[in-house]
Order: sequence, then C-alpha cells, then structure tokens
Amino acid sequence: MAKSLLIISRQAPWSGPGPREALDIALAGGAFDLPLGMLFLDDGVFQLLAGQAPDQVQQKDLTANLQALPMFGVDELFVAASSLRERGLGSTALNLEAEVLEDDALAALVDRFDQVMTL
Amino acid sequence: MATLHVLSHSPFADNRLASCLRLLGKDDGLLLTGDAVYALLNADLAHLQGRVYALEEDVRARSIDADAQLVDYPGFVQLSIDFDKVNTWL
Repeated sequence: MAKSLLIISRQAPWSGPGPREALDIALAGGAFDLPLGMLFLDDGVFQLLAGQAPDQVQQKDLTANLQALPMFGVDELFVAASSLRERGLGSTALNLEAEVLEDDALAALVDRFDQVMTL
Repeated sequence: MATLHVLSHSPFADNRLASCLRLLGKDDGLLLTGDAVYALLNADLAHLQGRVYALEEDVRARSIDADAQLVDYPGFVQLSIDFDKVNTWL
C-alpha cells in the first residue's frame, strides 16, 4: 500500500512558485494513483477564487489545473474555514468542490495521512 | 500518527506559526529553527510544555532566553525518527 500524502498549499496564486509546485506534485501523484489529499490554508484559499484573470499579470491560469485534480484521482480536497473567514470569503466564491473544515477538524486531517508537506 | 512540525521563519513576520498551532495535534511536536526561535519570546507556546524543541545554536546565536528543549543537529535527526512524520513549513 502506497503511503498517503497530504499537501498543504498556503500561498496566494502569484506569490511565487509554491502554489504551482504543490499542484504539480498533486497531479503527478494522482497520475500514479498515490492516495493524496490537498488542504488550502491561509492565502492558499485565494487560489480557489472564481473569476481570476491571470493574463492581466502575465501568469498562467491555475484554475484549469485545480479543476483537473478530481480527474487525476485527487478528490480529497479541503479548505480551512478560518482562512476563508479571515479573508471575508464564503465557500460559494470558490470554483473548486472542496470540503470546508473548521480548525478542530484540521489536526485530525493531518493525523490521518502518512506524510504531510507544506508549501 | 504524531507529526513533528518544523518552522524556520520568524512568527513576527508571517503567520506560519499561527497556522501551525491551529492544526497542531495533541501528540504533535514543534521544532523551531532559524528565525522561528524568536517565537520563544512569546508566551503563546506555554501550553505546549514538553513538546517544543529548538535548535540550540540558533537560540544561542540570537540571545534568546529559551523555555524549550534545546537540541543539536543529531537531536534534530533523532526527533525526525521519533515522530511518525515531519512537516516542514517551507
């Protein structure tokens, strides 16, 4: 049995290479049928906002890759409720189907995976 | 599945520590390295007694009065082995 991996993505979409690398890891792992989960925490929730226009800042779109996650078998997707609240966002503003978790559920989530990585 | 969370950024400059504390499990440990050792100046970690570790050379270099278990690099390795997994907050 392959080890399960939780990827915590906590950076805003155009802040650097972190968000795209986290996503690439998830997609590559998914393609190899690894049991993967992804948690969007802190500024990472901004990656999920609907209506982004990355071409305005000469960046590539992350949205298409994010929406490919379930197709690659990565369907354990989570968002931290407190991160959304701090930023004045509701889960309806997101364009990814993800489970919204309160803080008290986060420790259990991390605990459940064999390995965890934060980018 | 206890996790060792490794931080290396100052808690006064970003929110890695705050987020880490939010998802810290009851058996998890915290290892402070680099500028993260400045977190020892703040009383927020008092409730984690016995689960906070800090890299000794980074503490000494910064003149921090540490209320944590100090470890050297071999100690760092041993902690990584003792916990089920390691989560580095890059």
